Amino acid sequence: MTAPRATILIVEDEPEIRRFLRSSLGAEGYKVVESATGRRGAIDATTHKPDLAIIDLGLPDIDGVEVIRQIRQWSVMPVLVLSARAREHAKIEALDAGADDYITKPFGVGELLARVRVAMRHAVRPASGLGVLKLEEATVDLEARKALRAGREVHLTPIEFRLITHLAKHLGMVVTQKQLLTEVWGPTHAEDTHYLRIYMKQLRDKLEKDPVQPRHFITETGVGYRLME
Amino acid sequence: MRYSGGMEKQAVWIGYASALGAALLCTLIGLAMMSRFDVVNIAMVYLLAVVVIALRFTRGAAITCAALCVAAFDFVFVPPAGAFTVDDIQYLFTFAIMLVVALVISGLMERGRRQAEARAALTLEAETERVRSTLLASISHDLRTPLAVIAGASSSLVEEGDKLKPEEQRALAQSVYGQARDMSELVAKVLEMTRLEAGIIELRRDWASIAEIAGSVLARLGERLAAHLLVVDIAPDLPLVRVDAILVEQALANLVENAARHTPAGTAVRVSAERRGNELVVSVEDRGPGIDERDLEQVFAKFHRGRSDHGGEHAGTGVGLGLAICRAVVGLHGGRVWVERPAGGGAAFRFTLPVEAAPAPPAEA
Repeated sequence: MTAPRATILIVEDEPEIRRFLRSSLGAEGYKVVESATGRRGAIDATTHKPDLAIIDLGLPDIDGVEVIRQIRQWSVMPVLVLSARAREHAKIEALDAGADDYITKPFGVGELLARVRVAMRHAVRPASGLGVLKLEEATVDLEARKALRAGREVHLTPIEFRLITHLAKHLGMVVTQKQLLTEVWGPTHAEDTHYLRIYMKQLRDKLEKDPVQPRHFITETGVGYRLME
Repeated sequence: MRYSGGMEKQAVWIGYASALGAALLCTLIGLAMMSRFDVVNIAMVYLLAVVVIALRFTRGAAITCAALCVAAFDFVFVPPAGAFTVDDIQYLFTFAIMLVVALVISGLMERGRRQAEARAALTLEAETERVRSTLLASISHDLRTPLAVIAGASSSLVEEGDKLKPEEQRALAQSVYGQARDMSELVAKVLEMTRLEAGIIELRRDWASIAEIAGSVLARLGERLAAHLLVVDIAPDLPLVRVDAILVEQALANLVENAARHTPAGTAVRVSAERRGNELVVSVEDRGPGIDERDLEQVFAKFHRGRSDHGGEHAGTGVGLGLAICRAVVGLHGGRVWVERPAGGGAAFRFTLPVEAAPAPPAEA
C-alpha cells in the first residue's frame, strides 16, 4: 500500500519519542532517518533527501520553524510538525512557514500514520487536477463548478467555490485561517476571520448532513480548517 | 485581596474629603441653629461630626476633621466672630475635647481594624494551606494510580512478555495506553488551571462561532459520549462572539465531559446555545442525579468532586478542575457560569458570553 521504502526524516530531541516513531514507522515499511537537533535535521534533509519530514517544534538548538524554513528554500517535501497542546500559536507559525500539517503531543500511532499517509499521497499526486469531491451527502465538481446534493443542484457562490477549491488542494490537511483568507479574499483581508466563520457555516449548511457536527468541513480551533473526503 | 492597595488609597482620599465636607456641613447647621441655640450646643454638632469621621475613616482623617471643626467653630461662632482669636478661655477646653475624642475613637477603630485584618490574613493562610494540601492529595492520588498501572503493566510486558498469551499482552498494552491518556489529560488540566490562576493567560480574542466550537467539542469527545443520548440544539442564526476560541472550547468541553462522567449510560445530554438579549447562553443539560442544593456554588470550586458518582463510565476519575477551569475562562471573557436544578431532574450547566456585532463580509454579486 505504501510506496516501497519511502524515507522519513525525524527531527526530535527526545530519544524515547524517536524510538517510538522509529518502530511504528518502521513497522509500516518506512525507512527512518533520525536527527536529534535542528541543525543536524536541516543537514540530514539535504543529504538524505527524505520523502517526508517529521519535525518537533520544541528543539533544544534552533527553532523547529527555522528548520522548516531552511527545508522550504529548496524542497517541497511534505513536512509534519509535532507540537504540544496549548501551543496553537507555534503550530500556526510552523504551518505558515511551510509545514503541511501537525500532530499534537501526546498522540496515538493511528493518528500519526493517518497524517503521514495523507501527506505522502499529496507528495506523490500533487493536487493539480482537482476533479470531483465526494462528500457524504453531496458531490462537488470543482472543475465544472457544480455541486449536487441528493441529485439536486446546490447553488454555491464564487467565494464558496474558491474556498472549497483551496481546501481541496490540501485535502485531509489543515489550512490556516490566514492562508485561506489570503487565498480567497486577498492579503488585505488576512485578519478578517469572521468572513471564514460566516462562509464555513454557509458551506456546512449547504453540503453537510449535520452542519453542527460536520464530517467534512472540520474546524481546527484557533488554527484553521481541514477538508476531509 | 491583591487590589486592596489601590482601594485603600482611594478610601484615604475619601476620608479627607469627608472630613472637609463634615466640617462645612456642621458650619451650615450651626449657622441655622445660631439664633436659637447656645454656642456650646453648636460645639456638640461639631463633636458629632468628629466622632462619625473617626468611626468611619482613618486616624489622619479624624484629626483633620477635628482641626477643621475647631477652626470653623472658632472662626464662625466663637466670639469675636470672624477671627481666630479666643476671648473666653473655656473654648480652648472645647477644642481640646474635640481633638481628644478624635484621637481616642480613631485609635480604637484602628486597633479593631488591624485585629480584623490579622484574623483575615490567618484565615487566608489557612485556606491557602488547605487548598495546597487538597491539591497534593488530589494530584498525588490521581497521578500515582495511573503510574502504578503503567509501571506494573509495562513491566509485565518487558519481563514476562514471552510467557503471556497475545490477548493478555494486548490487554496490558491497552491499559498502559488508556492510563497514560488519562494522565496526560489530568496534567493538561493542572497546567491549564495553573496558567489561568497565575494570570499569565493573554486572551487571543477572535471572531468565533459557538456552533463551530460546539462541533469541535463534540468531535473531540465523541467517544466519551458514545453511551449517552446526545441532543444538540444550537439556534441557527446565532451571532458570532469575540472570544479566545481555544479556551472557550476547553470550557465547553469540560462541561460536556463532566456530564458524561457523572451521569449513567443511556441518559440524555443536551448541548444547546441561544441568544438572550446581549448575551449568548450556552447550556449543557443532563439527566443524571443532579446537584445537591448545597453544592450549586461549590461545584465550581477547585478540587470539588461530586458527593457520589453515579455509574458514569469514567466515574471517579475527575480531579475536580474541569468546572473551575470553565469558571475561570468564562470569567475572563466577562461572562457568568452557573448550574441549575431543572424541574425535570438532572443538572443544567450554563454560561454566557457577551455578544458584539461582527462586521459583515462584502456582499457577493
